[in-house]
Amino acid sequence: MLKAVIDGIEMELKEKMSILDAAKKAKINIPTLCYEEGLSIYGGCRLCVVEIEGEELLKPACATDIQAGMEIKTHSKKVRNLRKNLFELIIATHNIDCQLNCLTCSRANNCELKNIAEDIGVSKMRLDPIKRGEGIDNSSYSIIREPEKCISCNRCIRKCEEVQGIGIFTTANRGPETVVTTFKNRGMGNVECTNCGQCILSCPTGALHELYQKDIVLDILSDQTKHVVVQTAPAVRVAISEPFSNQAGDISTGQLVTALKRLGFDAVFDTNFTADLTIMEEGTELIERINSGGKLPLFTSCSPGWIKFIEHFYPEYLDNLSSAKSPQQMFGALAKTYYAEEAGIDPEDIVVVSVMPCTAKKFEAKRDEMAGDVDYVLTTRELAAMIKSAGIDFLNLEESEYDELLGVSSGAADIFGTTGGVMEAALRTATELITGQELENIDFDSVRGLEGIKKAEVEIGELKLKAAVAHGLGNARRVMEMIKEGEEFDFVEFMACPGGCMGGGGQPISCADNVLEKRQQAIYRIDKEKKLRKSHENPYIKKLYDNYLEKPGSEKAHRLLHTKYKARKI
Amino acid sequence: MVSEKLYLKGDKLLNILDYDFKSIKNALRMGRKETIQKIKDSELKGRGGAAFPTGLKWQLASEVEGEEKFLVCNADEGEPGTFKDRYLLEERPLKVLEGIMLAAFAIGADKAYIYIRGEYTRAIEVFTEIIAAARKNKILDSKIFDSNFKLEIKLVRGAGAYVCGDETSLLNSIEGKRGRSRIKPPYPIQEGLFSQPTVVNNVESLCCAAEVLNPDSEEFANLGIEGSRGTKLLCLSGDLNKPGLYEVEFGKITLQEIIYDLAGGIKAGENLKFVIPGGISTALITAKDLDFPYSYQAFEKRGSSLGSGAVIAVSKKHDLLDLMLNVSRFYMDETCGTCFPCREGNRQINKILKEFKNSGQKIDAELISDIGNTIRLAARCGLGQSSLNFISSVIENYGQELKIGGKIYA
Amino acid sequence: MSKARSLFYQDSLLEKLHEVQSTYGYIPETVIKELAEKYQLPRANIYGVISFYSMFYTEPTGKYIIRICDSISCHLNQSESVLKAVKSYLNLESHQTTKDKKFTLEVVECLGHCGEGPVMMVNNKIYTKIDGNKALEILGGCI
Repeated sequence: MLKAVIDGIEMELKEKMSILDAAKKAKINIPTLCYEEGLSIYGGCRLCVVEIEGEELLKPACATDIQAGMEIKTHSKKVRNLRKNLFELIIATHNIDCQLNCLTCSRANNCELKNIAEDIGVSKMRLDPIKRGEGIDNSSYSIIREPEKCISCNRCIRKCEEVQGIGIFTTANRGPETVVTTFKNRGMGNVECTNCGQCILSCPTGALHELYQKDIVLDILSDQTKHVVVQTAPAVRVAISEPFSNQAGDISTGQLVTALKRLGFDAVFDTNFTADLTIMEEGTELIERINSGGKLPLFTSCSPGWIKFIEHFYPEYLDNLSSAKSPQQMFGALAKTYYAEEAGIDPEDIVVVSVMPCTAKKFEAKRDEMAGDVDYVLTTRELAAMIKSAGIDFLNLEESEYDELLGVSSGAADIFGTTGGVMEAALRTATELITGQELENIDFDSVRGLEGIKKAEVEIGELKLKAAVAHGLGNARRVMEMIKEGEEFDFVEFMACPGGCMGGGGQPISCADNVLEKRQQAIYRIDKEKKLRKSHENPYIKKLYDNYLEKPGSEKAHRLLHTKYKARKI
Repeated sequence: MVSEKLYLKGDKLLNILDYDFKSIKNALRMGRKETIQKIKDSELKGRGGAAFPTGLKWQLASEVEGEEKFLVCNADEGEPGTFKDRYLLEERPLKVLEGIMLAAFAIGADKAYIYIRGEYTRAIEVFTEIIAAARKNKILDSKIFDSNFKLEIKLVRGAGAYVCGDETSLLNSIEGKRGRSRIKPPYPIQEGLFSQPTVVNNVESLCCAAEVLNPDSEEFANLGIEGSRGTKLLCLSGDLNKPGLYEVEFGKITLQEIIYDLAGGIKAGENLKFVIPGGISTALITAKDLDFPYSYQAFEKRGSSLGSGAVIAVSKKHDLLDLMLNVSRFYMDETCGTCFPCREGNRQINKILKEFKNSGQKIDAELISDIGNTIRLAARCGLGQSSLNFISSVIENYGQELKIGGKIYA
Repeated sequence: MSKARSLFYQDSLLEKLHEVQSTYGYIPETVIKELAEKYQLPRANIYGVISFYSMFYTEPTGKYIIRICDSISCHLNQSESVLKAVKSYLNLESHQTTKDKKFTLEVVECLGHCGEGPVMMVNNKIYTKIDGNKALEILGGCI
């Protein structure tokens, strides 16, 4: 038992912990900037310094463990004054020259610097902002970096290196030239960035954000000659309300559809539909590979961050990828062919917009191999901004239904939004197709949960399918190394983002606790409450095959719904 | 007549065949515990600037368990005004080698590094030859002098970063990383190089240790005074007639005598304004306050420090603001750039001083004081913590001259 | 072999970078790629290491790297006049290289010869007690 005193409160701690964590237990919030749970401790911002009895110099709460008998003051006058002075130094590197910066910034509502300034009571600013003269990095199709807003907290560096296992960022130079940048300042689009956007979620300021397309889309919506069609990803509906309600885990599917209709989209469809379609195509592919001794393990291919990752780092395994396009891309292809025919609209006039929890989808839409399928990609954050700018009272909207042709989906599609979901959806269909028997229990718990790598052996008739699920690219890399070492799998689901799509780089940046758990619970709730829970039972999927594609893996299906990959140098 | 006390300074020691290695042989005979006790009894303090008791450091390290243990010799001498380690490396490298062997033996390490700053080409050449000769002559071997002690030494060259002289930055540098400091605790003795227990010692400290164990040398503990035992290598520079390397016995000579007798006083036609006693990370001592015996405690009492022993004499002819800018630029450029107080604070101070120089109006003394306090209280490492010492002491002593009012440290 | 032990026997990245720097005059991208493979580090990380240290360059430098100290002791002894003369002669500011790629100028901090300042380094050679004229003489002798 460790006994210590924090701000006069006597603490008895059972285990070793940092002063920061101990303070949290005592319901004391110490301001931090460079600290992020899940990342290594940097101890650089020094905002969390506290006064320890008997020591003249202040110590960082995030990096100092509680010792028995410590007497700590987290908000003494000495500490408060220091934090204010320190903040002046920090904000001077941030270039808020008041040229509308805080108003136009991507983080106007949830900038950590602003929140800290309020918490510590900053009242004066005696220093001029430092102008480093660094230009904006817009070399990437997905992510924009604004170095002038960067305060060098190093969270993006640690997120990319430690969690995603890639490391495209580094601190370069020293002294006043110290900057966070990419390899030789090449730009994110010119290095091995996978566009996953996890760095955006880690950045406390607006130095990183997605490439915006919301203004273009708003303009196109006013163009009466265009037939603008929108699709929404599974993970959007459990997060879209967060910017409005400040709470996580709410299901707002109905309001989402209404908002999109009010924004002026001519047809509001659901990526869930093509998620069901992906299961049909990929499930068929899996069964075929197993039966004909094809390349195994089969890797899922719906996460474009994962795709770019394997293209850069494990190009020798490209043939293991499913050739099926991602649901987003399948949708685009069908919207301009199947839907165009059914609705009698000239494909030239159709504009396909998707709303995704993902930044990599913006890159995916621009790939040569799938040019023309999807025209614009909006992140969940962008859509929330559009809804606000249209004056729509989102939380109080009545609910609507998706347009049917490409909008009806099973619960198996909804769970695509979480790690393990694609695997489970595939297993529901594959099991029934292979055994010919209906499953009693279609909840595959063995692939659920937030563990980084899940392995399961699933019995499908006589087949013992060795499945694995990985989320976060760090875990993807570990699984690839396992495979290189000889570990055998039949089917592996890879998601670039921790948590799967629900934790995507385009999702609302939440300061709430346990956001991923809450979103995941909402996703499984949607699935549980649906009557239609298996992809192959979706009547509109049946209709698509009967009337248009013939069968999974057909020549037409291959032309529209399958793609190729390319090896990328580092 | 005052004179030097020669103890570490002496004839060149370059030929391994002529060198007896008496100290390490003595230590091997005495055993580790006795060796450490002898160092503790000598009251030797680290000579790099931090002045941590060497015997205590070795004892703590010898008691820690680890897969490996490392001794690292810090030869990244970079404090402006300092050149004593270069002398020892270039002219008496065998003494340095022996000190390394001694320290490694005492703490129970069989692997050592010497980290020499990259600009010291000659020292690197000399020491590379010494290591090669030592291997050839079985001085570095698996059974040194027929004992169970074995040692391998690797040389790593620094690459032009002052901050790598800080012990944890040095460890990061050897590990092939950016030279940023590490947060302490854990201390290097617990988790140092490659996460193993590590002792980092300065070149001069190791040479002193070698003399402590040298049966032919004067008893170290008899030299100097209580609280400051032994001798100190002084690097005298600035506006002096006879700058250079000198060695003095603690407590037996005053700073006044060092400046005016040993170093021959101030250059013709000039008057001393102040002395920077231990490199630019120390507070100045004004010209009229020099008459005190040279010792650790005397400097501490005066709010300064003897630092690395780099004594810089500054005459009245120099522009104070220019000197402050010079020192401020040093810290601004050399900070590792990791922590906000040091990186931004030093940059802002430099900016403020520059603007003051260019426009000449009053400086916001409270602002400098606030920034200085922020750096001192919250910086991650020793570089940051001492970066404002000199500048603050200039403002404190000569604020009127510079048209700056107000107290510096709240 | 324990991890720490094998790391001891491995070449320090710093030493490898020194070797490359003295061979090529800078660290070429192809070498960075090799080092990234060898040390299992992202190449951005290696770039961060190279850019931290003043003696490593990511772009080619001049045949002669001229380092002139302007720390306090040399500064007190008129290093500025040496700098002025050299900057004017080479028409360079610090961190710049002449168009003919012959000289790179670096104004550096303490080189450890403070009792014999001002001090100038030409590649690996140290020159002490320099003044403006001596400096130009030395530069003139660089072929």
